[in-house]
Amino acid sequence: MTAVIETSKLSKWYGNVLGLSDVSLEIEPGVTGLLGPNGAGKSTFLKLITGQIRPSIGTVRIFDQKVQNNQALFSRIGFCPEHDSFYEEMTGWVFLTSLLKLQGFSAGEIRSRAEKALDIVELSADKDRLIRAYSRGMRQRLKFAQAIAHDPEVIILDEPLSGLDPLGKRKLIRLIKAYREEGKTVIVSSHVLPEIEALTRTIILIHQGKVFAKGDIHYIRDLIESHPHMVSIRCDNPRGLAGQLLGEDYVLKVRFGPDRRSVLVETNNRDKFFALLLSLLVKNQMEVEEITSPDDNLQAVFDYLVGK
Amino acid sequence: MTSIPPTDFRSFLSSVGRVFAVFFRQGRKARRTRFFFLFSFLPVAVSLVIKFNQVFSGKPGREGGYLFTNLIMLFYLQMIILILALFYGTSVCSEELEGKTLAYLITRPIPKAAIVLGKYAAYMAVMTGMVILGLIFSFFVLNVDRLLDPSLYGLLGRYLGVLILGLMAYGAFFTFLGSSLKRSIFFGLLFSFGWENVIQYFPGSTQRLAIAHYLKSFLPATSSGRFSFLTFRLEPTKPGLALLMLFAIAAAFLALACLFFSKKEYSLED
Repeated sequence: MTAVIETSKLSKWYGNVLGLSDVSLEIEPGVTGLLGPNGAGKSTFLKLITGQIRPSIGTVRIFDQKVQNNQALFSRIGFCPEHDSFYEEMTGWVFLTSLLKLQGFSAGEIRSRAEKALDIVELSADKDRLIRAYSRGMRQRLKFAQAIAHDPEVIILDEPLSGLDPLGKRKLIRLIKAYREEGKTVIVSSHVLPEIEALTRTIILIHQGKVFAKGDIHYIRDLIESHPHMVSIRCDNPRGLAGQLLGEDYVLKVRFGPDRRSVLVETNNRDKFFALLLSLLVKNQMEVEEITSPDDNLQAVFDYLVGK
Repeated sequence: MTSIPPTDFRSFLSSVGRVFAVFFRQGRKARRTRFFFLFSFLPVAVSLVIKFNQVFSGKPGREGGYLFTNLIMLFYLQMIILILALFYGTSVCSEELEGKTLAYLITRPIPKAAIVLGKYAAYMAVMTGMVILGLIFSFFVLNVDRLLDPSLYGLLGRYLGVLILGLMAYGAFFTFLGSSLKRSIFFGLLFSFGWENVIQYFPGSTQRLAIAHYLKSFLPATSSGRFSFLTFRLEPTKPGLALLMLFAIAAAFLALACLFFSKKEYSLED
């Protein structure tokens, strides 16, 4: 498949601060997840490929055209920014039609495209309300609507799922997947692995301004799985549970929490561990108050992967 | 030397027009416009007070033309157009940065310079509307007993022209400030009520470094009276040259604003 977006040795410094370093990528049609902790360089990468900022070194090409100041190319790209920012005194309808006007559509087309986009994100009923009266979820959906309203071939979404409730997330994930079926190129950034996992199998791991890995979800998962996971279980019999867990070779370490009511387990096979845990809890009829993963966040995984 | 192809120029103008349409609408409906509309009607309120005072006190007082020239122009020239141009001009660029809405504009198929020019034109239109309405109302209130005197309308036209030129030149300067400085309002206030208010009263050619000098060069000389300080020490520039200078100032600062906005990478992080 031909790459739609190509970057070569792409680097960006903000003064002395490194934003992105030596990123060479080829992104093909379909959904690509850009995964990395906060401050990893995801937004910098997205701003570079949408021509909002200039690279310090390297090049970006979309559809084999340069991006910087290429107005014709901008009509083929839809961008959903990370910030929860709007022209607050506009209604959803005016916001959308205004941005479509800037795209250069005729009045009739503006109306029909705005209606369609609002319909897709299920905001038609609220289109005449002021944006400042919108809920966080509605605002996220409106941001998404402005990115798709002009029917772009490349859709770039910076943290589109943040702030959405589970139902809203599911709806938006379904929408994004529908664009993949249409053969569009969609890039979605997030710092939450399950969000990206729900969207795509093609993932780019980015950390400290560098692309750490790019590939299929299985490859990334294998990388992540090799990182021992910490699981904390607070239950009525932590000592009994600890004794039964110790026998398994994928349980690397067991210790008790400071409250003496929880047991902290380190495992290198999360799936097997949770299967065992479940069976033990049922078999012994233990009462569980809480199960948490203290280090189950991307930062911890990245720290492990980069050898901190 | 390279020239812009006509189709590119037409497309650029069309982009400016689209930005104008969007922000003229937004500018008209903005909350701050309501506030500034009331603010620009301050001279109307003053005119009403003066007129009521004349009517109810039974004393003839100063004639309307005199009051209009001195008092109202004092309000407009020394305060209202400066404040309006400062807040609307700086906001052309800075509101996009402060509101973090810049990405919505610069990812559209429109040149960045068209964003600056379109917004500037839109806000100019909004400000001009406010000032014209206020000035005309003040004029009619103060000259209600002489409305059939045709010479007064020439005066009104001249003052309207001066104020529009003032908005144009100050607006362009403040647009440039907004595109290039973070605390543009602060520096704009320093310029408006520091530099402009001092330099214009310097003798010799120094006063030509103030925009107000060129605006006041269009005003009739007020040789005497309480408000004669408006043209105190004014060594007027010829109207043709003053007009040229005001256009040149506006063009130069708009060009600089477009350049800054196109080249500068704004950081939206707090």
